[in-house]
Amino acid sequence: MAARTVLRNEWRLLMADRALRIVLGLFAVLLLYALANGVVWLRFQERIVETVQTGNAERASAIEQELAAIANGAEPASRFSDPRDPYVLGGGRGTHTAVLTPGPLTALAVGQSDLLPYYYDVNIYTNESSFQQNGEVENPLNLMVGRFDLAFVVIYLLPLLVLALGYNVLSEEREQGTLALTLSQPVSARGVVVAKLAFRALLVVGMVLAASLLGTLVTGGFGSPGRVLLWCAAVVIYALFWFVLAAWVNSLRRSSAWNATVLVGAWLVLVVVLPATINIASGLLHPLPSRVQMVSAQREASNDAVNRRSELLARYLEDHPEMAEGVVADVTFSGALAWAATDAVNSRLEEVTGEHDARRAEQIALVRRYRFLSPALLAQEVLVDAAGTGDARYASFQSQVRAFAERWRGFFVPAILAGEQMDASVLPDLPRFSLADEEGADVARRAAVPLAVLGGLLVLVSAGAGVGLGRVRGAD
Amino acid sequence: MIRHIIRKEFTDIVRDGRFRWCSILVGALLLVALGHGWVQARNAQQEHAAAQATARDHWETQGEKNPHSAAHYGIYAFKPRLALSFVDEGVDPYTGTSVWLEAHRQNDFLLRPAQDATAAQRIGVLTAAQVLQHLVPLLIILLTFGAFAGERESGTLRQLLASGIGRRELAAGKALGVSGALALMLVPAALVGAAALVVGSPGPAASPLARGVVLAGVYLAYFTVFLALSLAVSAWARSARTALVILLGVWVVNGLVAPRVAVDLSKWLHPTPSAIEFARTIEREMASGAGDISPPDRDASTERLLAEYGVEQVEDLPINAVGVYLQESEEFGNRIFDRNYSALWDTFERQGVVHETLAVAAPLLAVRTLSMGLAGTDVEQHRHFATAAETYRRDLMRRMNGDMAENSRTGDFSYAADSELWESVPPLQYAAPTLGWVLGNRILSLLVLGTWLVGTVLVAAARVRRAEVG
Repeated sequence: MAARTVLRNEWRLLMADRALRIVLGLFAVLLLYALANGVVWLRFQERIVETVQTGNAERASAIEQELAAIANGAEPASRFSDPRDPYVLGGGRGTHTAVLTPGPLTALAVGQSDLLPYYYDVNIYTNESSFQQNGEVENPLNLMVGRFDLAFVVIYLLPLLVLALGYNVLSEEREQGTLALTLSQPVSARGVVVAKLAFRALLVVGMVLAASLLGTLVTGGFGSPGRVLLWCAAVVIYALFWFVLAAWVNSLRRSSAWNATVLVGAWLVLVVVLPATINIASGLLHPLPSRVQMVSAQREASNDAVNRRSELLARYLEDHPEMAEGVVADVTFSGALAWAATDAVNSRLEEVTGEHDARRAEQIALVRRYRFLSPALLAQEVLVDAAGTGDARYASFQSQVRAFAERWRGFFVPAILAGEQMDASVLPDLPRFSLADEEGADVARRAAVPLAVLGGLLVLVSAGAGVGLGRVRGAD
Repeated sequence: MIRHIIRKEFTDIVRDGRFRWCSILVGALLLVALGHGWVQARNAQQEHAAAQATARDHWETQGEKNPHSAAHYGIYAFKPRLALSFVDEGVDPYTGTSVWLEAHRQNDFLLRPAQDATAAQRIGVLTAAQVLQHLVPLLIILLTFGAFAGERESGTLRQLLASGIGRRELAAGKALGVSGALALMLVPAALVGAAALVVGSPGPAASPLARGVVLAGVYLAYFTVFLALSLAVSAWARSARTALVILLGVWVVNGLVAPRVAVDLSKWLHPTPSAIEFARTIEREMASGAGDISPPDRDASTERLLAEYGVEQVEDLPINAVGVYLQESEEFGNRIFDRNYSALWDTFERQGVVHETLAVAAPLLAVRTLSMGLAGTDVEQHRHFATAAETYRRDLMRRMNGDMAENSRTGDFSYAADSELWESVPPLQYAAPTLGWVLGNRILSLLVLGTWLVGTVLVAAARVRRAEVG
């Protein structure tokens, strides 16, 4: 009964406060604006994915037509683009583009999707340096600033709104002299604060969740209910963390002005200063290896390989006896020779990039430990990961493309070494990339630790607030 | 009298534990960011210089081969880090660091450091510039929101004014007192920065000290804007709390909301082509030309040469017709690349102007633009280097094709040049743009920041004059 009274009175009070109505209205506008931005970006990526896939189909059908014509006795259009040549069918002309479809909740969090490549051309020349790409054309200035998406609103602006709504839930009652009156009713200070904050939390979290679900609905993201659930969980826990922090500060029985200063300070430290300090510390303690040195190493690797062509073919056949069978006896055969050089370059590149990637992975593992210090970093990680625009999904895509390129080479290289020609009969067997997208369970497994830590912080601060509020007396 | 006010404000701040700790925190972050930036910039510059030397070495020691093969082999260019980039890394993490200069095509800059980092590293970047752009204004707000409103609430404003001091004097005293306290933190940081520049500037730049001085001026103007704004709001607001809420709102819009709104607005007003559209357009135009640019005709080229040298047979030409044709197709390609890349860069620049224009609502946008410009880390200076690298590529290709045309005959594929030719190509020497060039690009931001400065000081003066006593 008492809680319902508080809730009803709070609603009346909030609606009577013009400033608060404006703030809430503004927040709703920002949510919708962020959502619209995300949807526009998602639609753009969907259009590009379609363009890329159409390109695949067009190349395949052109090759099919020419092979059919050749089978009927026509001459190939050019000796250099003869689709019967495995160097052509598996090379530039036969290129198959492997595509990562946009993350299911891209409209909610742009994440890394504006920075990392989401499609790669794969052919027999694909090697480690093929992965050094820029991704979408984008103004570096815009990449630097980042998008105004729902994740941004949740991480940066939501806490500020929570603090504005909650910094004086108790202190104001005291300052207006109504605290003693309120507590003379059959309610405890704890009950009053919980009811007041619960009401505000319902309002704010409800707005964010409504916007999230609206975005999901508009973009068909409900196909991944697990991701939606994780997103909502992260939003709720993160928002509640800030509400509970406000309750705790209120329980310290200081003035509203003091509460406001401390809470803004906490926001500044947890959301702005800590993530930045963490990045500086990790940059100093665990610097990421630079790719610049890799360029020189790659160059040396390929110089070396080109200079030792025929020696390389002999070694290649030694390493791959299964390939040796069909090779024409004359090792000066140019296709086989060229391939041996290509393969040598590739494996040197793999060595060089492998070393680099191992060092990078090591450093990133170290850096990631520090994220437990900032709820903002934890929330960001879960939100972006749930959206399917986080680092993990891109890394998984890249390794799938690597495996696909391997499969592609496995299909064409024996024919190249044997000096064989191909015909239309191989077309149905050509390797095709199909994305094995992450399961909801994989994402949940990754999100479990950061969510648990975020939840742990929530419980910790709640306990502090609970104890503090228990000490509040009407006479304070 | 004003001296008393200055001293009182200064002592208040320096003695107040909260503000002391805030200032120490911000000051420490500033110094750490400066130090970290400097170490990073120096390492990057050393690495780039070493890689550039290795690339040159690869070029010179590539062995004997046909000049056109050498053109295909090409050379890598690495973007140098400019002297002041340690203050503001700007867009550097989001632009590539190296480009392959090869025959027939203008390549993109690859290896963006941000691609190697994690998503978390995109939200928490802290450079000296970010401390100056975000945290120092917040400190100014916290130090000044109560200047009038607080005195009014505690009833001391009436007393102060009764003692005969003018309102404007009071405001000036408060502003100077706060400035003094801030100077305690900013002056050492500026000295450290200047010392870092003088002792070991991390990289090349035209007149780094002059750039540094203008940079300091820009930030001083920015701080003055916030100081004047805070005083104006404090004089106008009914309570210190209202003043603080309004000023924090301004800070959030200025630092968080406006920059990102500018991103979406700029993309909406000046859309960039998608990567695949851009690549396909170039591919199509390289195959069949664009507008009045048509691909060179090999037969026509040969005919012209035959007429020019007055011979009947290609074999009788004293030069290699293939070399001439290769250079013609190079020139054709250059026009296609210029067309497309200029359009793209121009779109980026127009997007940048949207960011600059939005500075009328958020001075941060003007200051950020100027700061990156002076540090040499903005999009325009990336373009400046990209243009220099491309010019170098074109010269390199002209030399290779020229040597092939001059020293071999048509159909002779056995001709090989040696290190003498490779060494005769001068190394890539990049001259960073001058201060005048940078400021000339940034007149809009200078104007907007100047307007903010004059506007806020005038408003502050007017508000203070009309400040209510109680």
